[in-house]
Amino acid sequence: MGKRSINGMEFASMVMSGANVLERQVETVNEMNVFPVPDGDTGTNMNLTIKSGMHELNHQPSNHIGKAAETLSKGLLMGARGNSGVILSQLFRGFAKSVAGLEEVDTNQFAAALLQGVETAYQAVVRPVEGTILTVSKETAKHAVICARRTDDLAVFMQEVFVKAQETLDYTPELLPVLKQVGVVDSGGQGLVFIYEGFLSFLTGGTSGLPKGNGASFKKEELSGRALQKERTSAQSKIATEDIEFRYDMEFFIDLSADSSSAALFDDGYFRKELEKDGNSILVVVNDDLVKVHVHSKAPGKVLELALNYGELSKIQIENMRDQHRNLLSKEDKQLALKPFGMVAVGIGEGIEQIFKSLGVDGVLSGGQTMNPSTEDIVNAVNQIKAQTVFVFPNNSNIILAAQQAVDLTDKEVIVIPTKTIPQGISAALAFQEASSAGVNQDSMLKAISQVRSGQVTWAVRDTQIDHLEIKEGDYIGLLDNKIVTSAADLLEVCQQLLGLMISTGDEILTVLTGLDITEQQSNELENCIKQNFNGVEMEIHSGGQPVYLYIFSVE
Amino acid sequence: MIKIVTDSTADIPLSVREDYGIEMVPLKVHFGEETYLDAITIHPEQFYDKLSKAEQLPTTSQPSPVDFLDTYKKLSVDEDVEIISIHLSSALSGTYQSAVLAKSLLEDKANVTIIDSKSASYGLGLLVIAAAEAVKQGKNKAEIIRLVQDLRNGTKIYFVVDTLEYLKKGGRIGKASALLGSLLNIKPILTGNEAGEAAPLDKVRGHKKAMLRIIEMMKEDFAGKEIKVTVGHCKAQESADELSLMVKEHFQINDIKCIDIGPVIGTHVGPGTAAVFAHLA
Repeated sequence: MGKRSINGMEFASMVMSGANVLERQVETVNEMNVFPVPDGDTGTNMNLTIKSGMHELNHQPSNHIGKAAETLSKGLLMGARGNSGVILSQLFRGFAKSVAGLEEVDTNQFAAALLQGVETAYQAVVRPVEGTILTVSKETAKHAVICARRTDDLAVFMQEVFVKAQETLDYTPELLPVLKQVGVVDSGGQGLVFIYEGFLSFLTGGTSGLPKGNGASFKKEELSGRALQKERTSAQSKIATEDIEFRYDMEFFIDLSADSSSAALFDDGYFRKELEKDGNSILVVVNDDLVKVHVHSKAPGKVLELALNYGELSKIQIENMRDQHRNLLSKEDKQLALKPFGMVAVGIGEGIEQIFKSLGVDGVLSGGQTMNPSTEDIVNAVNQIKAQTVFVFPNNSNIILAAQQAVDLTDKEVIVIPTKTIPQGISAALAFQEASSAGVNQDSMLKAISQVRSGQVTWAVRDTQIDHLEIKEGDYIGLLDNKIVTSAADLLEVCQQLLGLMISTGDEILTVLTGLDITEQQSNELENCIKQNFNGVEMEIHSGGQPVYLYIFSVE
Repeated sequence: MIKIVTDSTADIPLSVREDYGIEMVPLKVHFGEETYLDAITIHPEQFYDKLSKAEQLPTTSQPSPVDFLDTYKKLSVDEDVEIISIHLSSALSGTYQSAVLAKSLLEDKANVTIIDSKSASYGLGLLVIAAAEAVKQGKNKAEIIRLVQDLRNGTKIYFVVDTLEYLKKGGRIGKASALLGSLLNIKPILTGNEAGEAAPLDKVRGHKKAMLRIIEMMKEDFAGKEIKVTVGHCKAQESADELSLMVKEHFQINDIKCIDIGPVIGTHVGPGTAAVFAHLA
């Protein structure tokens, strides 16, 4: 008879095992992109999301599954990238809510937690699409509830859960026509199945992955050290910079095993006493051959020399606390002068970044089709802006959810304008009026993005058929508002066809952003072609410098 | 008898001033060491030509109190004369201040009322002309002052500039500065607000869109009402004609005047600026 319940530590190992399987299969998942556009980083997104969760869990391990799941959920939320990553974080958020307060869970409780995860995820997604990771998680959870009534053996239970997940995944092309057209199953769903596979592998006694050894125990210390520092910082605002006597904040490790021939025997008590002569806030943690040292000292040289007597030093960090204090004070000064509004845009390419900045956007976060920033990246970008309300332009449909999660994770008011393309982001930034209220700005930004048509030109990474288009690998393809509408072997031809669909009245404004790989000659050819074929449009050509998209067109 | 005084920034053509007997005190335009009297020794055509060749942008200055004092004295030789002096927004220029100072230097017997138009260019000009028209009709001073105030409140100015550089250099704009140095061809649309400052209304891509947006805003502001419109421009006749045509089309107005925006205002908004001055008929 196998396991009947799992506690927090086992839960962590199980999730780690899931993360490991996913990591090994990242490329497999990436290659399952539906569109023949060279994006496809669902696997990367999910992998980075779950890694962020594991990172948090490793820092705060707990035997209590309620606490462990909550820690994991927090980490996932901070690291969530891409739609699938966000949904993954929501699945575990619901799971954590369900098991909160439980020391360990049995099959029934496990199944209930899976089900609550599904409910949470469906609520979080504005327009849930069936045939995706959502469907896989839903069908699996429903089946899990039934299985749990039949067995209390976790390994047997998970075996059935995994099989159901795989079955549902195989069925996704029937639910989502676009998958069928391209001939793949859903990539996010596949990612989830890999995670379940890892769960199963752990429960049946296969691989488990929690790191062992010195690392884990030290991490606890680091955490409390950090908490300590925080306290000290806030208290410091009350004292003058010059009053800091033990100026240097030091942290390092001594490896007692290294260089053992010449090393003196380490005496904990003696070492502390020596440190106390010139310092305070002393923390010395001995773990086998590793010693972690933290001290505030006025003689950092002496401290290091003393430590060198016992072995090799590593991860040496020395900060001047007077410096830190001055920075802190000036930070506090600046906080007083928050401007009412700020803007953050996601984009990639030097030219695009410059254009956003010239429109008054405070921060441009690098990312786009192939590199989705995480919720945490967005939170950090928002927090760096000295403004009360920050508008966020994700500029990619795959980043919108991650951006929306940032809303709850910062003290600032964050308004996400769901821009799906760079042209929409530019329009939204342009609609901003400093003198208007946040609500009025939000309305006019939404109106602005509805009035711009976005075109993108890229190349197909494999043969495929989309609607009535037969696309060959290497062909150029034109996307209108993120939908493939044209393809051809000739770049100019695709541009012309795409622009023909975008320009209707002939008195619009056309903006062309040229990609990283476009030469001046190519850009001139395009300009001439547009002048000949679209007489009357006001045209602007700028170097966008973006990868992947050879041209980005905006027509308004 | 009531006499109307204004300054050169009202951008009222000379012939119209003469018809109504409107007195005009000029501001000054300085190109380096050279000083010109606005609308007297320098006119739009010549100014924009000089501006395009100038290495350094010109600066402007308000009339001195003595300039106003001389005008007021000249007009009040006859003791029965009442003067209504209407001027460029005090938020944009010290002109109103100079006029007020001049009044305090006058002997008690002179009867001068000074009005801060909180407006500029033909936004000021149309108030002045309305006042002069009312004088012709025999209205009294109190009636004219009320009329000017009502008209001021019922007038909207919309103007599109080629670049915000001129407004910025002249220190006439603060909040729209985010758009300075924009890489895209963006046209800022501004207005004169209630405080008499230049204030941003919107910013749009390209020239055509700017014109369309102005029409759109006019429709919002004057929905279903009959209006009178004047267009103005800084060496942008084509834009003004285009705007004029669009206004005629959208508001069924046959008669739209077109004026040149003069050197002083032109220094601060820059060539290429086109403006609409609209008020209830």
